[in-house]
Amino acid sequence: MTFFINQLIIGIQLGSQYVMVALGLTLIFGILDISHFAHGHMYMLGAYLLYILMELAGVNYWLALPLCMVALALGGVVVERLVYRPLRDQPHINTFIAAIGLILFLETMVRAIQPKALSVSKPIDKVFSAGGVSMEAQRLIVIVGAALLVIALHLFIKRTRLGTAIEAVAQDREGAALVGINVNRISLLTFAIATALAAAAAVLMAPLAFIAPEMGSVLILKAFVIVVLGGLGSMQGAIVGGYLLGILEAMAIAYLSSTYKDVFAFAVLILILAVRPTGLFRGRE
Amino acid sequence: MLEMRDVYCSIGKHEVISGVSLRVEEGELVTLLGANGAGKSTLFKTISGLIKPTRGTITFRGEDISRSRPDQIVRMGISLCPEGRKLFPRLSVRKNLMMGAYTRHRDREQVASALREVFELFPILEERSEQDAGTLSGGEQQMLAIARALMAGPRLLLLDEPSLGLAPLVVTRIMETIADINRRGVTVFLSEQNAGMALSISTRGYVVENGRIVLEGSAEELAGNEEVKKAYIGA
Repeated sequence: MTFFINQLIIGIQLGSQYVMVALGLTLIFGILDISHFAHGHMYMLGAYLLYILMELAGVNYWLALPLCMVALALGGVVVERLVYRPLRDQPHINTFIAAIGLILFLETMVRAIQPKALSVSKPIDKVFSAGGVSMEAQRLIVIVGAALLVIALHLFIKRTRLGTAIEAVAQDREGAALVGINVNRISLLTFAIATALAAAAAVLMAPLAFIAPEMGSVLILKAFVIVVLGGLGSMQGAIVGGYLLGILEAMAIAYLSSTYKDVFAFAVLILILAVRPTGLFRGRE
Repeated sequence: MLEMRDVYCSIGKHEVISGVSLRVEEGELVTLLGANGAGKSTLFKTISGLIKPTRGTITFRGEDISRSRPDQIVRMGISLCPEGRKLFPRLSVRKNLMMGAYTRHRDREQVASALREVFELFPILEERSEQDAGTLSGGEQQMLAIARALMAGPRLLLLDEPSLGLAPLVVTRIMETIADINRRGVTVFLSEQNAGMALSISTRGYVVENGRIVLEGSAEELAGNEEVKKAYIGA
């Protein structure tokens, strides 16, 4: 039983990371109708920025977290403006090619500067244990941090005028323009929020993993699986789907095989596309 | 108030509006008559800034708006209630209305009084205020679309075929409300395929065919015109 609970905690922690990345992906999909495949690489940039701030500039972890979020929010704005906006009225394939180009650019650039995998130290290097269940402090930080950010995002979307404007643009772009919403500005705001969330995920996860140029690749594919699983454009779906996939993976590692852990995510994708292509929740029609 | 001078407009390679000139004066209720595909919606979208004219000028209260963005045009006092309504289906009726007041959110007093006014015009919307817009009936959705456009506090309200697809009884009710909105001081520019009802509440009208204005006159003149009767009244 304690083994099961331990794995469950690891699953929730994995899921927390997935939720943060998938939420950004689904928000951007809702607003712009594009699959921002380079989103995982923005996550990777967040982890490297954390390394630079902590290990090279000596900034405290808790200060580095908001700094990385703000910096990557600006990065998201630049990507929207320079990469996606010019392709707005072009065929989808062009946007897709641009995203792949951005991935190659970012990954090669980082690899050219620093080819070796890096790591950062844990802000609280402790292990809590109770009744045979033990948990690293950093896992708890990931779980709580993600939960707080997801709640904050939910409140922002549901309770504020700008948040409602994001939903309005996602539901009817032309209708939104007609009530006087500057849709370009909302699209920049969405990119900023989504990329800041990815940066937060990277900062929270970094002390538990290696920082490497390709770290965003598998993550973005899993986030994409989650977005399809939850229903394209559905925030609720991204949250439920993210935690589900995290727990599923942790259980698969524990009870089946750790070698094939990444296979499960894609098995889920194939299954969902075959059985219920609209996803668990209703996203955009 | 609104003046279009020799406006041309294309969608893709097709010229949809070919040299339209028209004016709407303060306080008027003007009808734009035309068949499906005559260019009514394109004309309204052009005034609203969703489509940029390829030639010609559009001025509103003396200012050139031909190159302005939709959100700027809303701020200047023109609201479009579009064809197909373009509501936010998974937001509540109340949130749809609040989004209608997006451009003047700072004046809470004004927004509250605008909300009271649209609930007075359409009491059913108050009853349904917590329901998602997508769950409303067609007539209720049309009322919500008009109400949402009013929330911006427009000086000029553009209504693109508000009767489309609605039962005759609902149409009568909506037309009466439009006349009421006009009496309250909002200038209205209305497009319709069915002339009878629209002309009965209008002061003037234009007839558009293939992107050109082919006829204009007072509402009585148009209602009495044989061509108009044949094409748009079906009497």
